[in-house]
Amino acid sequence: MEVLANLATGFGHLFTPVNFLVLWVGLVLGMLVAVLPGLTLVMGVVLALPFTYKMGVSPALILLTAMYVSGTYGGAITAILFRIPGEPMDVPLLWDGYEMTRRGEAALALGWSLVAALFGGLVSAVVMVLLSKPVAGLALAFSTPEFFAIVFFGLASVVTLSGSSLVNSLISLCLGLLIATVGVDSIYGAERFTFGEPFLQDGIEFLLVMVGAYGIGEVLTRMSTGFAGEAGEAGGGAARFRTAFPTLAQMLGMKATFARGTATGIVVGVVPGAGATVSAFVAYGLESQYGKNRDKLGKGSAEGIVAAKSAATASVGGALVPLLAMGIPGSGATAIILAAFLLHGIQPGPQVFVSSPDLVYTVFATVFLGVVGMCILGFFAIRPLCKVLEAPEAIVSAFVVVFCFVGAFAARNNLSDLYVISAFGVLGYLFERFDFPIAPLVLGTILGPLAETNFMTTMVSFDNDWTIFFRRPLSGGILFLAFAGLAWPLVRATLKRVRAAREAHARAA
Amino acid sequence: MDHRNPDRLRRNLLIAGAALAASPRLALAQHKYPSRPVDFLVPWGAGGGADQLARRLGGLLEKELGTSFPILNIPGATGNTGMAKLLSSPADGQSICVFIADTLGTLAGGKGRYKLADLAPLGIMIRQPSGFFVKADAKWKTFDDLLADAKKREIKVGITGFGGPDEMHVVKFNEKGAKFRPVPFAKPGERYASVLGGHAEVVIEQAGDVRSFLDSKQMRPIVFFADQPQVGYESIALAKNYGVSLAISQFRAIVMKAGTDPKQLAVMAAAIDKAAQTAEYKKYLHDELAFADSYIPAAKAGAFMAEQLALIDANMPKKS
Repeated sequence: MEVLANLATGFGHLFTPVNFLVLWVGLVLGMLVAVLPGLTLVMGVVLALPFTYKMGVSPALILLTAMYVSGTYGGAITAILFRIPGEPMDVPLLWDGYEMTRRGEAALALGWSLVAALFGGLVSAVVMVLLSKPVAGLALAFSTPEFFAIVFFGLASVVTLSGSSLVNSLISLCLGLLIATVGVDSIYGAERFTFGEPFLQDGIEFLLVMVGAYGIGEVLTRMSTGFAGEAGEAGGGAARFRTAFPTLAQMLGMKATFARGTATGIVVGVVPGAGATVSAFVAYGLESQYGKNRDKLGKGSAEGIVAAKSAATASVGGALVPLLAMGIPGSGATAIILAAFLLHGIQPGPQVFVSSPDLVYTVFATVFLGVVGMCILGFFAIRPLCKVLEAPEAIVSAFVVVFCFVGAFAARNNLSDLYVISAFGVLGYLFERFDFPIAPLVLGTILGPLAETNFMTTMVSFDNDWTIFFRRPLSGGILFLAFAGLAWPLVRATLKRVRAAREAHARAA
Repeated sequence: MDHRNPDRLRRNLLIAGAALAASPRLALAQHKYPSRPVDFLVPWGAGGGADQLARRLGGLLEKELGTSFPILNIPGATGNTGMAKLLSSPADGQSICVFIADTLGTLAGGKGRYKLADLAPLGIMIRQPSGFFVKADAKWKTFDDLLADAKKREIKVGITGFGGPDEMHVVKFNEKGAKFRPVPFAKPGERYASVLGGHAEVVIEQAGDVRSFLDSKQMRPIVFFADQPQVGYESIALAKNYGVSLAISQFRAIVMKAGTDPKQLAVMAAAIDKAAQTAEYKKYLHDELAFADSYIPAAKAGAFMAEQLALIDANMPKKS
C-alpha cells in the first residue's frame, strides 16, 4: 500500500538522530507550556516558531507538531491534581478529575486521562492518514450556522450539569458571556464596556478569566481556610495509589465513551476555527446527555475524564487534516504550523501530497510517535507530580500563584493582564464562597466570542433570517440535540415530581 | 549586493571597537548608531504577512548595520496594541515597527488615538493589490459574467471585516447596481474555507496570500483593484475598466516614532533602502506576487500613506 510505504518513509525521517532529539524536545516543551496555566499551547507554539527559522523544514515541523500533540496532555495533570487548568481544554477535567483527587484517587484519574489521550490520539492519527481526503471535505461543509450550533451545544449541555442550582449556573454563564462582550466587537467594531480604557478595548481574554478564577481563586479559597483543606488527605491517597491504570475490563465497559469522545474530537478538530477546547466541551456535553453513567458525571466519574481527554487529543489529528489536505488551518496551533510551512517556502495543500509527500508523512509519523511519547512522558511525570501533593499546601499555593503570573505575563508581555487575573481571582473566591459554580463563567468567556461572531456572521450572511439555524439540516440537528439537552433535566424533574405526588397520593389513599 | 560592504562594515566595527577601548562611553554613543539591538515591533501574530516581512527585513538590516533586530510580536486591535507600544516608548531610535494598511484604516476620520504625523515612515516595503477570487470551477469565465450575474441576484463576498478597504471595494460596485453582499470572516482560514465550501461565492484577497490555492487550481482571480496588472495574472480584468477606480492596495510599511533624531532616521532609512535593492528582497516581492516596484523610499512614503488615508476617508462606507 502506498500510504504505508509513505508512512514508513515518514518514520524513517523521524528516526534520524537530530529529528528524534527534536521530537523529544518538542514533546517536553509542549508538556511544559501546557502545565503552565496562562501560557497556552498555542502561545507556546508561537514562541517556539522563531527558533525553527534556522532549522531545516523537517525538524521545524517535527518540533511544532510534537509540541502541539503533547500540549494537549500536560494541562490534564495540573487540572486533576491541583484544580488548575493548564489549558482551556482541561476545564472539563476539573469537574470529574479533581473530584477523584479529592476522594484520594488522583493516580487513577491520571491513569484514565493517559489511556484516553493515547486512544484518542492514535485513532485520530489513523483517521488522519487513511481518510485525510474525504475527511477534509467535512471542513468545507461547516459554515457559520453549523459552527454556532456546535458552540451553542457546548454552552447548553454543560449548564445542565454544573453545580447544585440551575439558576446560579445560569447567572454565572450570563456573567461569563457579558465579560466576553467587553472590547471592540468583531463584526461592526463597536466599543462595549471599554470605559475609555485602552486596555479594555482588546477585551478581556478568556485565558485571564480562567487562570484567575480557577488558579488564583483556588489559592484564595485555601488561604481563607488557613491552608488546612482536604488536599492533605488527597496527598495521602495519591501516595497510596502511585500509578493506577484502569483494567482492560473497565476500559471495555467504557468503549462507547471512548468512541464518542474520539469521534467528536476528530470532527470538531476538522472544522476550521475550532480545536481541542471546543471539542473537549462538546464531548463532555455529549457524555452528560447520552453517557451510561450520566447521572454520576461531575461527581468524580472517569467517563468525564475519558470523554474530554480523548476528544482533546483526537482534535490534533482532526485539525491537521484540512491543513495538510487543503492549506486551511483547523485550529490556533495549526495556523502557526502553517506559518512554519510558509516560512520555509512550502504551501500546504493538495499539491504537497504530490510534491513533498515525505514532509506530509513526517508530520503524520510525528503525531503517531508524539502521542506515544507524550504518554510515556506523562507516565513518568505522574509520580513526581503526585509527590507535590504531599508538600505543605501554603508552599504549593505560592508556586501556583507564581506560575499563573509568569504564564500570563509571557503570553502578551502586558502587565495589566496580571491585574485582571488578580481581580478574577477575587471573583472566583467569592463565587466559591457563595456557592456559584465557576465553570459556566469560564465556559461563557471561552465560547461566548465564538458564539457571537458566528451568530452575527450568519445574520449578515442570511439577511437577518434566524430560521436559517433550523432550516439547515446539520445546524438544525445539532441545535435540536442542544435544546433537548436543555429541556431534559426539567422534564425529568417534573416527571419525578408527578410520579412522587401520585405515589404519595396512592399511599394516602 | 555590493561586495565591499561587508568589508567596510567589518572595518567600521573594528574602528568602533577601538573607539570603545579608547574613548569615554558618551562620545561613542554619539558616533555610532545603532550601537545596541533595535527592537523590531510587529503588531501582528507570528507567521502572518507582517511577521514574515519583519523577519526577512530584520535579517537584511542586521547584515547592513551590524546589530541585531529582535522581533517582538504584539498583536491586537488591528495592530494598534503594537502601535501603542511604539508610541509609548522613547523616541530614541531603539524601536522600529511594521505598519500596514489595515491599521491605517483605523485612523480614518481622525478616529484613532494617534495621527499619521506621530509616525516617521522609513519606507513602504510591499504593495499587493486586492482582488476578487472565485472557486476554480465557478461558472463565471470572466468578470463580465460575474458582474452581470451580480446585477440579477445577490452574491456573497467574503471580506476581512466591515469598515475596511475590502468593504469599500465591494460597495463601489453596489453603487453601480451590483448586489454583492459582504460577509465578514476575520480569520484567513475561515475566509478561504468560505469560498472553497461555497458559503460565499467570491472572496476578497491578495494573490500572494492565497497562492497555494491558486497554484493547486482551487481558486482563481477574476478581477483586481489596481492601477497596474497583477504580476503573474496580467490577463485578469482590472476594476478601473469597469468604472471603479478605487484601488486601496494592501501595503506594509516600516515606521519609527516621530521626533526621533533625524540622523538616526537617516541611518535607518538608508539601511532599509539598501535592503530593498537586494536580490533576496526582490525575490521575496516576486514570491508574494507583489508589485515589483512596491518599495517607496522614506522621502515619499509619508505622502503615499497620507494619500491612501485620504482615499479611505473619502470612501468610508456609511454605517449600516
